[in-house]
Amino acid sequence: MQRATSYVVMLIVVSAAFAAAQTTHQELHFKVGRRASVSIVNQYGAISVKPGPGKVVAVTAILYSGKVEVDQSKSRRRVAVFSHLLEGADAQTGRVDYEVLVPADASVTLHSTTGPLHVEKLHGDMMVEGSTASVDVRDVSAGHIHIKTLNGPVTVTNVSDGLVEITSVGGDVALNAVNGSLVHVNSSSGKIHYDGDFGDGGDYSLTTHSGDIEAIAPAYASIEVVARSVQGTVEKDFPLQPEHTSFVPRAGSAFAGTMGEAASSVKLLSFSGKIHLKKR
Amino acid sequence: MTCEEFQRVLPELGSGHGIGQEEHLKSCRGCSNLVADLNTISREARVLQGSEEPSPWVWKSIEVALRQEGLIQPQLSHSRTPTLVLDWRLRWLVPLAATLLIVFGALIYQRGTGQPQTAQQQPPPAGVVTANLQATEAMGGEDLQLLETVGERMPSMRDTYEADLRSVNAYIRDAEQSAHSDPNDEVAQQYLQNAYEQKAMVYEMALDRSLP
Repeated sequence: MQRATSYVVMLIVVSAAFAAAQTTHQELHFKVGRRASVSIVNQYGAISVKPGPGKVVAVTAILYSGKVEVDQSKSRRRVAVFSHLLEGADAQTGRVDYEVLVPADASVTLHSTTGPLHVEKLHGDMMVEGSTASVDVRDVSAGHIHIKTLNGPVTVTNVSDGLVEITSVGGDVALNAVNGSLVHVNSSSGKIHYDGDFGDGGDYSLTTHSGDIEAIAPAYASIEVVARSVQGTVEKDFPLQPEHTSFVPRAGSAFAGTMGEAASSVKLLSFSGKIHLKKR
Repeated sequence: MTCEEFQRVLPELGSGHGIGQEEHLKSCRGCSNLVADLNTISREARVLQGSEEPSPWVWKSIEVALRQEGLIQPQLSHSRTPTLVLDWRLRWLVPLAATLLIVFGALIYQRGTGQPQTAQQQPPPAGVVTANLQATEAMGGEDLQLLETVGERMPSMRDTYEADLRSVNAYIRDAEQSAHSDPNDEVAQQYLQNAYEQKAMVYEMALDRSLP
């Protein structure tokens, strides 16, 4: 029994070593100016972007086979890195994982089919696009965040003074502590979860076709809110001051009103999903 | 009323039928089928655009066909202009033949310019959520072409795009019905805008050349 266990352990170690031998590391460094633009296109594999020191873009790429290579192009303010699939590459052999360090004020564009995609601690604009990739954006401020996925789930955490636009057909969207002048989420069948203050005197719009919407706000939130579901139900945990709307609020399917100074505008719209405005 | 009498007055009936004609239609399957066919042709012909005037060969073809059927006979007169002489019992064949050839010619013309016709569907009642009818959601020609492109470029993603297109098309249909039922409803307009944005995004991602 002990001998069998030893053989299994040895087999695992040898396999891991063999797999590691197939991967190659590639390092790229680019000097850039102020407000650089960085683009990473990677069909299969992860992309992680974090702020780095100075005016340098540092890319570490882990290639999982010889059937993919990393190409690059550079101009004075623009850096582009992309995975070039060779003949016969598939999701496993064509995989590349990128770790990228960029100046904090850089604009970042990420494209991937499988992902996952991760961005943190930047304050430039970002465009993140993934088909089935999961997207995680956190601790960013003062930039325009544009996220598109087909079915990949999206998580955005701790965003201040931002302009956030998220479109996903079937991916669930979770927004935690996201505030800005504009926060728009457009989903077809995915669920939307918001947990924040609806602050900054912004325009918040969370809309779905059939997904549910759950919005959690504090008792001190200052909002003008409209919630409506054509086929689903709507609930609220707050008493609202009534306000005049273009439609007739019907108990159970629509409500409208204000809280506090009504600094921010909040729209919670779903065609057939359930909507719940919860008190934190 | 006999079939001969009914067909004699058929060209003059238009959309209304008298009591006698109604009773004949109820009892005579042949005439009833004929009226149904003519109504179908008339309905299809209405979707043709007026600018798509059939070429002269269409009219020539009609004349040739009618001559071959013996419905047109050269008039025995000294006039140089031939006139059409038709048996009154077969007079209704003329508009039928003309309409058939016009529809056929227009279909050939449209296929040649690469504008596929999409099947017209009976819209479900307003407000009915059709998200659960994805399995039977009909795809338009453009959607099918997009899926073909995706299938060539990224075969593993074809099913994902098909499912998403069906979901988005259901969204668009529900949003359109909502907007049509109350054109002044701003929320309904918002649904519609969002639905189209979703569709545009799916197309954009499918055709994104930056991904190999």
